[in-house]
Amino acid sequence: MLELVHLQVLSAALFSIGLYGVLARRSAVLVLISIELMLNAVNVNLIGLGAFADRPAESRVFGQILAIFVITISAAELGLAFAIILKLFRSRGSVNTDELNLMKW
Amino acid sequence: MGAHDLWLLSPQLAMAALACTALVVDLATGRSKLVLWLSLIGLVIPAALSIALWAANPADTLVFFGAASVDRFSLFFTLLFTGVAAAVIVSAEKYASRFQEQRGEFVGLILASTTGMMLLASANELITIYVSLELTALPVAALLAFLREDRSAEAGMKFLILSGVSSALLLYGLVFIFGFTGTTRLDEIFARIGDLQASGGFDSTVPFGSYGLLLGIALAISGFAFKLAAAPFQMWVPDAYEGGPTPVVAFLSVASKAAGFAVVLRILYSAFGSPELAVEWSALFAVLAVVTMTLGNLMALPQKNVKRLLGYSTISQAGFMLIGLAAVSANTSAGSLVAGPQSVVFYLAGYAFTNLAVFLGVIAITNRTNDNTIAGFAGMGRRAPVTALLLAIGLISLLGLPPTVGFMSKIFVFNAAVNSGLAWLALAGVLNSVISAYYYLRVIRAMYMEAPTSDERITLDPSLGVATGIAAFGAVLFGVAPWFLLRAAEIAVRSLSGVAGS
Amino acid sequence: MTEALAWLIILLPLASFVAVALVIRPFFNRWSIAAGWVTIAAIAGSFVLSLVAAAAVFNDGSIAYPSRQWIAAPGLVIPFGILLDPLTAVMLVVASGVSLLVQIYSQGYMRGDRGYARYFAYMSLFTASMLGLVLARSIVQMFFFWELVGLCSYLLIGFWFTRPAAAAAAKKAFLVTRLGDFGFLLAVLYLFFQGGELLDVPTLYEAIHAGLIATSVATWIGLGIFAGAVGKSAQFPLHTWLPDAMEGPTPVSALIHAATMVAAGVFLVARFFPLIELSGTTMDVIALIGGFTAVFAASMGLVANDIKRVMAYSTVSQLGYMMLALGVGAYIPAIFHLFTHAWFKALLFLSAGSVNHAAGTFDMRYMGGLRKYMPATYAVMIIGGLSLAGIFPLAGFWSKDEVLVGALENGSPVGIMTFLLGLIAVLMTAFYMFRAVFMTFHGSWRGGADAEAAANASAHPAPQAAGGHAGDGHGDGHGDGHGDEHGSHGGVHLAESPLVMVLPMGILAAAAIFAGILVNPPTALGPIEKHFFGEYAAHNKPVFPTHEDAVRAGAEPHFNLVIALASTALAVAGIGLAYTFYGRGQASVSLPAPLAKVHRVLTRKYYFDELYERVLVNNLFYRRFSAAFEWIDTNWIDGFNYRVTLWTERSGRALTHLQNGQIQAYGTAIALGVLLTLAAYFVWGA
Repeated sequence: MLELVHLQVLSAALFSIGLYGVLARRSAVLVLISIELMLNAVNVNLIGLGAFADRPAESRVFGQILAIFVITISAAELGLAFAIILKLFRSRGSVNTDELNLMKW
Repeated sequence: MGAHDLWLLSPQLAMAALACTALVVDLATGRSKLVLWLSLIGLVIPAALSIALWAANPADTLVFFGAASVDRFSLFFTLLFTGVAAAVIVSAEKYASRFQEQRGEFVGLILASTTGMMLLASANELITIYVSLELTALPVAALLAFLREDRSAEAGMKFLILSGVSSALLLYGLVFIFGFTGTTRLDEIFARIGDLQASGGFDSTVPFGSYGLLLGIALAISGFAFKLAAAPFQMWVPDAYEGGPTPVVAFLSVASKAAGFAVVLRILYSAFGSPELAVEWSALFAVLAVVTMTLGNLMALPQKNVKRLLGYSTISQAGFMLIGLAAVSANTSAGSLVAGPQSVVFYLAGYAFTNLAVFLGVIAITNRTNDNTIAGFAGMGRRAPVTALLLAIGLISLLGLPPTVGFMSKIFVFNAAVNSGLAWLALAGVLNSVISAYYYLRVIRAMYMEAPTSDERITLDPSLGVATGIAAFGAVLFGVAPWFLLRAAEIAVRSLSGVAGS
Repeated sequence: MTEALAWLIILLPLASFVAVALVIRPFFNRWSIAAGWVTIAAIAGSFVLSLVAAAAVFNDGSIAYPSRQWIAAPGLVIPFGILLDPLTAVMLVVASGVSLLVQIYSQGYMRGDRGYARYFAYMSLFTASMLGLVLARSIVQMFFFWELVGLCSYLLIGFWFTRPAAAAAAKKAFLVTRLGDFGFLLAVLYLFFQGGELLDVPTLYEAIHAGLIATSVATWIGLGIFAGAVGKSAQFPLHTWLPDAMEGPTPVSALIHAATMVAAGVFLVARFFPLIELSGTTMDVIALIGGFTAVFAASMGLVANDIKRVMAYSTVSQLGYMMLALGVGAYIPAIFHLFTHAWFKALLFLSAGSVNHAAGTFDMRYMGGLRKYMPATYAVMIIGGLSLAGIFPLAGFWSKDEVLVGALENGSPVGIMTFLLGLIAVLMTAFYMFRAVFMTFHGSWRGGADAEAAANASAHPAPQAAGGHAGDGHGDGHGDGHGDEHGSHGGVHLAESPLVMVLPMGILAAAAIFAGILVNPPTALGPIEKHFFGEYAAHNKPVFPTHEDAVRAGAEPHFNLVIALASTALAVAGIGLAYTFYGRGQASVSLPAPLAKVHRVLTRKYYFDELYERVLVNNLFYRRFSAAFEWIDTNWIDGFNYRVTLWTERSGRALTHLQNGQIQAYGTAIALGVLLTLAAYFVWGA
């Protein structure tokens, strides 16, 4: 029987995997995909809260609304991110995050 | 939804319309100068609407079913953001020649981000907060990457990725808050928490009364700390400042930080303002304040690049502001809850004048020398006397010496801390001010004590000169006569339910 | 009198400062003559408004405009506002009136100086800060303007900062007065930490009236305030800076000595008189220090050869009189003496400046016989001298007499003692004043600056090193383009000064004659009531509640014929003595051996400079204390400081290595930050 807590554990796991990906992958593209994973973990949580919790219906809707907003905004973010990645790739021929260290100290 | 809603939200709507107009005019005519001056004139509209709303002071401030609250707190910041946007647009007039192509888009993106900040300052609901936060951040990420150099793209990339991570953290936190209280409106969250406390639903052995709320608040604060440039969430700041176009960096350091503090103040005092919770989060801010100002100051010491130095300076200034957030009076005598938030709002407004004077002065000089190192400022007292003087006023205000607003700001923040029984925090602040003298005075010394590297005079463009002059004048004026701004800050924070309720 | 007009009294000279310093000097320095006119116009405006204010106080009594809040944060309230009572009104008229005449005089005196615009900028600010001080309603405001007065006098004394003597004198003035300010600051801080309400002067008066201030508290606050006044008013033992302050331009000295800097000290004691009066100890200390200073300073004036130094010692001595009067409770006579002294002392300084204009030096040994060349200056100097000596019916006679009556009527041992000191000082004052007059104007011309330069050159191979007496800086080696009018070597040109200088002196001479008899006559004179000034100054009921009765008593200084005759006799004796020794304009008098020793002690100023600089500062402080401290310093503190600086910088460098430019390191910091926050809450929370 699926309960809220299962979804929350799933969400936490996805979030952690995403965070690990952000911190560990070299390619900027994969880092961005990991960020998407974190955001989707949040979405799972949101939808779960809306579907299971014994709340009044109107407040349960808010979770789903927020999820839609998150999806939309993350699409915009990705669009911008890939524009910058393209720019970097053109000038440097690489999109590895560990090579993005012109500025330090 | 009705006419009243539209009237209340008119500054934000006007700003959004202005952003669209700027983009369309740029597309249609391609004349970036026209776009720039048109937007500057257009900024009068949101400013005038904000002032009209402040004067009208409508009783019902909630807009669109409570999604936003256009009270005097938000109007104070609306006006502040409009002014900062104007200064940043003026400062880009000459600087824009370094952009690749999209000089008109620059103005549009600045205005779009400003719209986001204005919404953020009035947001009264978690979804609105998230959306306006992203509206604030994404244009800035694009703007940071606006220069031809690789450094600029790198700055944009770093900002975007770390901003993504921190907004994921923030979102996760907001979800816990939503899940725990079942609502996204801040005033309702406050009411639910009150009900739960009254019905014994709180576990007094757990911070914030429950693990759900603890996770929610801690994650949310961590997410916002990225915006505030609080340690250890501040590491993007120096790199972004060094690489990004200077006008954008000025915008980031003044407006974006003010927006972050505005939303944090509103959430804390509207939703989590009950004394039991306030004790918990104020402790966190006290620690963040000490770590932030110390790290910022120490790491600023060896810097040689002025923009990077200002990045670290921004961090340490954020630390001082955090003192004001930590200063929640444990003793609930009347009026004492005002001191902390009032000092933060005053600090932010004074900091806007101060830091704009510094950044605009730096832009005026580096536009011609193209040299961002401190050594490049040598002898500017002779080569560019007026600019150097205005820049020095700004630096002295950052350092916090009388008769500048920086001094007053620090006095108020420390006073709030002492009144809340956080004398040690005020002491840490004083010590940090002393350390900061070293690097601020180094720039002044370079300008006035060191021999110039060339004899060429650096003239000040009229428009940039006026903007810098206004900023420096404000920094001195509110240092000599702080009462007007102080009163405005008090009125602003009193419209937050948590402050007014005490 | 609306509040806006009262603020305008301060704002006019402040505006002229801003206009001269920020507009005329940087952009229109070619027309720097405008700086003088702007300043004169602004101060004239202040003067007219001051008269209006004085009239308003006469009609309506004291006016306390609402107390405003400069800073009002919870737990931090600092008030400010304007208080207009008779004391303020008198000070306003004196300060703006003297300042106005001095500015007119300066138009002539400073003409052609390269720092012309800078001079008037400082003078405007100086006047504004003095007016701000007397109008202040809150003590913090008072302290602010008090320090501003100190700062301006520093700038003006060191006006010719390229000369080492001027720079040193400015530094000395600033440091010595700061020493006294420390006491004042402690008093302000004490009141601040008492909740801040007592920082408002009328509230303080009410608290005193209601008996809320304990005597011991009043003693300490009173002594702190008096310490500030001792510094500013150059009372013993902080008197050493004032004679050196002669390095500034002469009109500045006139302003400092008559109406602003040193008068500020007396004003401060008068302002806090109700508080000080609570404590007999404080009163006695003030009376004794005042009385002692009156004689002590006059004795050094007996032998000084620099005409401005004679005046300087005279000021210190006269300020001693005022302090003495306050100390014995004679509040009205003290203010009255401040009032009359302002006019004749300004006159004397301006005369000294006029003499210098002709002789090119201040050293009286090289003057003599100037009577022939500058009759107007001679006449006004005689008037000023007679007024200072206290000869009937000039202004000084009336006020000095009231001080003496006040001391005698006090009746206590301290009163008697100070009365006697006062009488001795009368004799000395008349002597040194007329010694100066005779040395300067009588006899035959001794060559002025040229002779002085020659004497210095023969005594010292390098005339530059000849020390602080080398004249006013009118061309003498400071090379700031001031010399065109006066010739290269202090410019002797034996002629009367221009009208723009003589005219203010004439007005001041009139004031020096009539400021006593017409302002505070012993019987009704036509429209002027008997003891008009005393009644006026005592007419301050609303803000000065406690002291009303006592002040009223002081307002009726029953004119005492015996004392008047005695003091006049002493003054005449002093003048006669001066005439016997110096009447034919002798440059020096040979003295018998024992007197010569005294003379030497006096010319060395009782060795106070040596005491302070060699004994206290060098030997005691540097050698003894410092030797001990130095050991601690080098071994502990310096090492500590060094290490702290080193480690601060090192840790800065080390920390920046965390900032390694890697996005993922930054992300890790964020993740760690979140984990640490949560962990901290789990460990220490709840």
